[in-house]
Amino acid sequence: MTTRARTKNGYEHLAPLFHELAALPQDDPRRTVLRDELVTGHLPVAEHIARRFAHRGESGEDLVQVATVGLINAVDRFDPTRGTDFLSFAVPTVMGEIRRYFRDSSWSVRVPRRLKELHLSITAAGNELSQQLGRAPTPSEIATRLGLSKDEVYEGLEAGNAYHSVSLDDMLTQDSDNTSLGEMLGEPDSALEGVENHESLLPLVRELPERERTILLLRFFGNLTQTQIAEKIGISQMHVSRLLARTLQKLRDGLLEEQ
Amino acid sequence: MTKPEQPDPSGDEIEVRIAADAAQLPMLRAITSAVAMRQDYDLDSIADLKMAVDEACSMLVLRAITGSLLTVRFTPKSEIRVVATVLSDSDDWPDTGAFSWHVLSTLTDSLEAGVSQGAADPGGHVLWIELTKRNALGDE
Repeated sequence: MTTRARTKNGYEHLAPLFHELAALPQDDPRRTVLRDELVTGHLPVAEHIARRFAHRGESGEDLVQVATVGLINAVDRFDPTRGTDFLSFAVPTVMGEIRRYFRDSSWSVRVPRRLKELHLSITAAGNELSQQLGRAPTPSEIATRLGLSKDEVYEGLEAGNAYHSVSLDDMLTQDSDNTSLGEMLGEPDSALEGVENHESLLPLVRELPERERTILLLRFFGNLTQTQIAEKIGISQMHVSRLLARTLQKLRDGLLEEQ
Repeated sequence: MTKPEQPDPSGDEIEVRIAADAAQLPMLRAITSAVAMRQDYDLDSIADLKMAVDEACSMLVLRAITGSLLTVRFTPKSEIRVVATVLSDSDDWPDTGAFSWHVLSTLTDSLEAGVSQGAADPGGHVLWIELTKRNALGDE
């Protein structure tokens, strides 16, 4: 039986490594070795914290990964000369990482991993099929493509409703906000003429973020389908659908406030 | 107009009665989506119908008597027909100049709305809207 100095928390034996690491010059190859050893040695801490959050519906595996990222950050940022011990520094850092993960994660309702993956593969298949067919596919076409039952496709499509407004595809396509959509798509402002018949609407439409406004105008004044808009803008049809539904809601609320 | 009172004898009809409250609209969206998916509509048409029902019911809920019910009937046949009704104090319906109406007519294949007299008790006006959506694939 190995006798480790498990005096207080079981990680005391790792403490000297931090001092050793701090003393090494930045380019010393031994730094990597020590860093690995510190991260590996403290992994049970990350796993323990991850387990405490596991009931929230995220897969345990994901959470351990997130917690490990937090742990690595903690190892990198820890300053042993400050006199605090590593654990009291690491625990809040790891918890912070997990909290951020929950906050940023794109699903407003905890959706099981299987459903998320299902939704993502349906989105991907949907994009492919619309390219090939030149129109939006049906659930049964998606089911055939993916070798799934129709019920599974229904389920996966519905899972998309749990997407948060800060969704994964929002993040993936954020760059499109930098390039002017106006330039990209020609003159969407000419479509604003259609809106001018609805006087009270105009200021609300002008306030919309550019992408939302473009989608609204293309759908309701340019008469493009969601799939056609998706292709123009470079996002999925389901993403267009979510943005459009949200925009209509925003306009309804805005018009209501005015009355 | 007697439109709201025509039950369809076919077995596919679904009628939902729900509080005439905007908070209930997500439930209707989910049902609409389920109906259209099971008719194997293409994703564009499913999304359009969902938005249309949302928009139509939002318009009705705004005008409904507080505490009353919103009734929505889905008849999926060669096309999906949706008839929604509420009880209102006012018979000022529909406002076809409104943006909502424009949105609805863009999203649907047919759109009609009107007012019928409510029952003597509790009185009021029955506002109805009827829309249909065809599967885009049927046009090919």
